[in-house]
Amino acid sequence: MQIHNAMHQPASITSSLAFVIPEIILVVSICITLVLGLFLKQNKSAVLVLVTGVAMLTAICFVAWNWPHQPEPIFAGTLRTDDFAAFFRVLFLSGGLLTLFISLQKESATESVILIQAIVLGACLLAMSMHFATVLVSLELVSLSGYVLASFAFNKSSSEGSMKYFLMGSVATACLVYGVSLIYGITGTLDFSSQQFVDTLIQSQSGLILIAAFFILAAVLFKITAVPFHLWAPDVYQSAPTPVVAFLSVVPKLAGLALFIKIVLAFNLFGQATLDWRVVIAGISILSIVIGNLSALAQTNPKRMLAYSSIAQAGFLLAGVATLDLAGIHATMFYAVVFLLMNLLAFTALHFFEKWKALPTMAHFAGLGRVAFIPASALVIALVALTGLPPTAGFTAKLLVFSSLWSAWADSDLTVLLILFIVGLLNTVIALYFYLKIPYYLFLKETPPGTASIKISFTGNLLVIILVIAIIWLFLNPGLLMGWINRITFVL
Amino acid sequence: MPYLSLLIFIPVITALVALLIPARYTRVFPWLTIGVNIIQVILFVLMLFNFHADGGLQLVEKHAWISLSLNNWGQLQAEYLVAVDGLSFPLVGLSVVIMLIATISSWHILKSRKGYFALLLILNGAIIGSFCALDFLLFYVFFEFMLLPMFFLIGIWGGPKREYASIKFFLYTLLGSIFILIVMIALYLSVQSPENSNEVVHTFNVLHMQNLENFIPGSWLDAASSGSWRLWAFALLFIGFAIKLPAVPFHTWLPDAHVEAPTAISVVLAALLLKIGGYGILRFVYPVFPDGAVYFSDWVAGIGVVSIIYGALNALASKDLKRLIAYSSVSHMGFVLLGIASATTEGIAGAVYQMVSHGIISAMLFLIAGVLYDRTHDRIIENYSGLASQMKHYTAFVLIAFFASLGLPGFSGFIGEVLIFFGAFQSQSLNNLVPMWMPIVATLGLLLGAAYYLWTIQRMFFGPFAVRANFAELNDLTTREYAMLLPLAIMALLFGILPQILLDYINPFAESFPSMWFSLGINANP
Repeated sequence: MQIHNAMHQPASITSSLAFVIPEIILVVSICITLVLGLFLKQNKSAVLVLVTGVAMLTAICFVAWNWPHQPEPIFAGTLRTDDFAAFFRVLFLSGGLLTLFISLQKESATESVILIQAIVLGACLLAMSMHFATVLVSLELVSLSGYVLASFAFNKSSSEGSMKYFLMGSVATACLVYGVSLIYGITGTLDFSSQQFVDTLIQSQSGLILIAAFFILAAVLFKITAVPFHLWAPDVYQSAPTPVVAFLSVVPKLAGLALFIKIVLAFNLFGQATLDWRVVIAGISILSIVIGNLSALAQTNPKRMLAYSSIAQAGFLLAGVATLDLAGIHATMFYAVVFLLMNLLAFTALHFFEKWKALPTMAHFAGLGRVAFIPASALVIALVALTGLPPTAGFTAKLLVFSSLWSAWADSDLTVLLILFIVGLLNTVIALYFYLKIPYYLFLKETPPGTASIKISFTGNLLVIILVIAIIWLFLNPGLLMGWINRITFVL
Repeated sequence: MPYLSLLIFIPVITALVALLIPARYTRVFPWLTIGVNIIQVILFVLMLFNFHADGGLQLVEKHAWISLSLNNWGQLQAEYLVAVDGLSFPLVGLSVVIMLIATISSWHILKSRKGYFALLLILNGAIIGSFCALDFLLFYVFFEFMLLPMFFLIGIWGGPKREYASIKFFLYTLLGSIFILIVMIALYLSVQSPENSNEVVHTFNVLHMQNLENFIPGSWLDAASSGSWRLWAFALLFIGFAIKLPAVPFHTWLPDAHVEAPTAISVVLAALLLKIGGYGILRFVYPVFPDGAVYFSDWVAGIGVVSIIYGALNALASKDLKRLIAYSSVSHMGFVLLGIASATTEGIAGAVYQMVSHGIISAMLFLIAGVLYDRTHDRIIENYSGLASQMKHYTAFVLIAFFASLGLPGFSGFIGEVLIFFGAFQSQSLNNLVPMWMPIVATLGLLLGAAYYLWTIQRMFFGPFAVRANFAELNDLTTREYAMLLPLAIMALLFGILPQILLDYINPFAESFPSMWFSLGINANP
């Protein structure tokens, strides 16, 4: 086994360390946070956020500085640095950084800062994983930290959500382990990028491979909250603290996406697999979009609605992958960046209102748009972007994804891709109906008498304004990001 | 001078500036808006000197906007491409005038003025942008950009059922624009720019889409190989714009939106937003898919005729004055479809003329309804009688507007409808697109139009004076109301008596339009 061999190659390990400096920075920062937390008083959380923020920023700079143009296997092939992984590492680190700023407005416990960093660390390792053992370890790092983080509201419903998340997550992990063990039995390797893996799978073509692949992908789809592995999301989203939900809806999900792309490409065997994976992914994508949107229609709790919306968004993220070609994956990566921005913006703006008054239903938003104009407008822009209307990057992202779908359909004549194309676009209208509920209450309903105006901190406004500008800027000038994404060629 | 960009972006930038002004300076916002409107009128007058009626597309501004690599599928290219021709130039002029009148009409709005005028300015820029954009993506962006301001304008400042109406409006229009988006994606991936020969560049340029030679051989919408897909694309794109027009049976959002919207927004909706539907059919649907236009011609004409009759019948049955005017809009936009379907020079010229004329007249009609509503807060027709004895000047303008709208000779409505009938009657012998019985049935619409207007005049304005609504004082027109109605009345008369001043601009476009079929070698005589 390769891991065993790696233990005897200390030189390879030390030389590999240079490639994971961002992750090492995170580990060091976690340790520092842990120690600082012991000595700092509870209300000094700003110091913690500052320290970890600087650490994450440095890590981003390191990834950007040492942008890997050629794929480089490290740690005896269990991880690999390539531009695909680097892209997602930057994304996860930025997601973590932005989340820290959201929680900056609130007294955040030391533990939550540590857990956020741990999830980012796990996500970064996941993006680099080329080996099922590292996949398992990093996925568990993400999951276990997530379970704890979800219970951070310290009330009954939050514990319940966390428990559901944990139980279902454990089943998902069990599925993953079971699938991986089958794969090891068939191929004799856990390295899914290796020639041995591809060769044995092409030769054997047994039904067992499909079972194994479905088990593994089920665990990954659980992280992406794709239908039918989405049932935990609404409860967790509704009960967990909003900054935590903002984070959980973005980083673990996109980490799952990065992993999904890699594994599905591995099982696709460069198009030589017996099963046409495009059909499977397109099916999951259609299900997620339709079920996510239809369920969201009935919701009255804003966070629960956003949970279903994020299930539908998972469908859109998978739609680009369903093409299984580079252009579709590039479109998905663009969508991933935009999704990160708009989802964080939606939850950040929501968090403003929640700090000020409880919002169990959307009717509680009545008239608040006139009291707090900037966060309310930001929320509207985030929802318009999630719907996919111009002038936001949400539109550009959907345009790119659906363009890639159309092209893939025109090339392959695979009807399911056309169905996905049409269903996805028509769902925008359904989506608008529930996304519009919040702006509807914010601006169209009268302000209830006696509503005091909200005092909004400058940093809070600054964060939403930065996110809004980013979303509009990416619409006006998508070439900037897309040009960068287009240079990414090493996925598997 | 980049006239079109200035027209589009001055209001948008002013809206952003307005957002920075504290809301307590309530007097600033209407003045700021009207300042922008006046600048736009001045710019348009300057454009009149630079625009040559028979010069085709002019005042072109072209800048690179988005250029992305799609890997194995080539390059995506969208441009900032704006220009005007005989179709869009009159509509841009109409927009400038109507937006000025809408601002004057909004003067007495007191509720959150800052938001109202900022949204009105954004709407202004988006409407003019839609009429000028010749890049499909750019057009789509402007087209969608109108929805959100409109949603808030109806939803916040509208009548009692405003929330329902605004959401219905938004959902319907979005459904239409999703149809347009589907076709847009299919189209740009099937078209390549002739400007680059060494690489496949998928362009959104509508002018390239109108040329069948630019379709990539073997692509889904290539005329040589696509089979029925082009017809599907035509149908989807047509429905997308027909919702906006609105044509029966896609019209149900319109009466609700109109009844609930504040007066100024009704004016903008009827006079400008509906025109984008007609404009879209003339600019995108027909030129890009002439084969679909031939195939579906009797459907298009049929929908037009049904809209004319059904709209008129509904207007006849309406109890609410604003609802009556809204249905009369459906009826009048049906004429536009009939003219377009005939695809003759007269029919196309008539359709464009009818759009401009309806823009002027429907604006007047909604202002008239607004005048009454401001005084009594009641629009039910049967609650009034004998208004002529109390409001003489008002009644005069009502008569002008109603007679102009029912197509009395001497008013602009007459010219548009006559040209459309010329085209539609000619069509059977000329290109066999519209069967003879359709315009014959459509004349019934003229009769019904006369019926509901005259009946309304008789009920509301003649007889003994009585008003069954609470009101303080039933004054005649104020100076502000004069300032809005008089220019529109003059325009309706001017374009009715001297149609040539407008037709000179429209004709070159209308003449080039039918020749499209022959230049593409598609036989229009089945």
